[in-house]
Amino acid sequence: MQHLDHDRLVFLALGESEADHGETDHLGGCVTCRGELDTLRHVAGLGADTQGLYALPDPPAHLWAGILAELDTVAEVPALAEAHRQDLPEARPGPAQSTTEARPDVPRRHPSPVTGDRPDARRRQSPYPDAERAAGRPAARSRRGRRWPRWATTVVTATAAAAVAVLGTVAVLGDREPAPRQEVLASAPLAAYGSTPKDANGAARVFADGRLHLHVANLPDVPGYYEVWLINPTTMEMFSVGVLRGSSGDALLPLPPNVDLQEYSVVDVSAEQYDNQPAHSGDSLLRGTLTG
Amino acid sequence: MEADTDRESGATAVGATVGHAPGKATRPVTAVGTAGQEPEPPPPDELAARFRAGDETALREAYDRFGRAVLHLATSTLANRSDAEDVTQATFVAAWLGRDTFDPTKGSLIGWLLGIGRRKVIDRLRASAREMRVVETVRQLPEPVATGVDPDAVVDRLVVADELARLPDDQRRMLELAFYDDLTHQQIATVTGVPLGTVKSHIRRGMASLKRRWEVDGAAPGPRPAGLSGAR
Repeated sequence: MQHLDHDRLVFLALGESEADHGETDHLGGCVTCRGELDTLRHVAGLGADTQGLYALPDPPAHLWAGILAELDTVAEVPALAEAHRQDLPEARPGPAQSTTEARPDVPRRHPSPVTGDRPDARRRQSPYPDAERAAGRPAARSRRGRRWPRWATTVVTATAAAAVAVLGTVAVLGDREPAPRQEVLASAPLAAYGSTPKDANGAARVFADGRLHLHVANLPDVPGYYEVWLINPTTMEMFSVGVLRGSSGDALLPLPPNVDLQEYSVVDVSAEQYDNQPAHSGDSLLRGTLTG
Repeated sequence: MEADTDRESGATAVGATVGHAPGKATRPVTAVGTAGQEPEPPPPDELAARFRAGDETALREAYDRFGRAVLHLATSTLANRSDAEDVTQATFVAAWLGRDTFDPTKGSLIGWLLGIGRRKVIDRLRASAREMRVVETVRQLPEPVATGVDPDAVVDRLVVADELARLPDDQRRMLELAFYDDLTHQQIATVTGVPLGTVKSHIRRGMASLKRRWEVDGAAPGPRPAGLSGAR
């Protein structure tokens, strides 16, 4: 069968001309040409709908700041820490680290009431405000300053147009200061378990103050909620540690004071139903083993 | 001569209006804001490569170029502005943390980002639907969460807009006259002073690029050549 000329299909799709009788007959019987014409028409329709998309408004400044702040809470996930290592020689988690060790290589910044206000404004944008509040950390700023290199601070400054005059000074001085560091006792990369899609992943860290920092990404959508467990792989006994709010993000959960992490060494994230059944559903999404 | 003048002014106008376009954004960052200059053809996507390699400046550049598009996707599909901003933030965070999974051979960086954003929008809509069911049991009126706009359609439009902005100037200009001003090819030839055959060939090539790009990066299901069906 002789198909219609592709140029002709383009012109028909754009409404440049009407199909003549022969073409109409062919299109009526030819799936290939008909499909191509439909596709071209659809694309032309999308093209006509793009007109408003050339002057989209800029995102508000706090959005970028929120991205940095959120990335900052997971900056010691190995993949991310990798990028920082050269810049931040002590960023690697390890039991030997002091929580308050001063860093001679960074200038100390004078406290500023103006910049002191910023982390609060930023924190309101965080999807995990409870976790951040629970963390009781002095400010998102200090964490960001610690882990993100200077360019990041500078672009935040540039983005926050309204505050540039004040914050510019901060950028010049260097938005870094030695920040209290949580000592990490143990950590575990979390990988997709069983039939969970492979892009689901996460990381768990146990802090010396008895809290579990959990980062998860790309958890599959579930009809209920996510629950975090510590499992003893020998006995398969387990502690429920808490629940997660979203399919990606961070949580800081208090660990049971009596848990022995040598025995309860497996971190597990499960999918749970709102079914009034407190036990593990058996549907594990992520797992990893704590080491450290 | 008249045609050349016309073309120049057209390019300037496009450059000026496209300054914030998602498509413009895929060009080297040095090209952004240089309205009036002849845009260079898009280079091999070095931004995507740097992003994947974990270069933090690439995260910022990707945000500068594509943040508007992702936010547009979120704001046009989610009724609540703070939901939309959360989704945009979560999209870039997830993209950065999951950059290892980005495969440049399967689509563009913006297509990948929009795909993540689309999934997060849908997750948010579903989560809200669940919350609503819970809320209904205690007889409270849920707030509307969805605008009713189909995320897939928004992604498709953004992807096509991006490709349109990346086309060679002549092709883009002819297509814009056809799409936005609804001109026939003959009218376009008259308006631009470009010979009719050239107009047709620009439009034909431009349409082919838009279609190819939509097939690779678009979200909506549709007729696709077998070889490309998995490439997104």
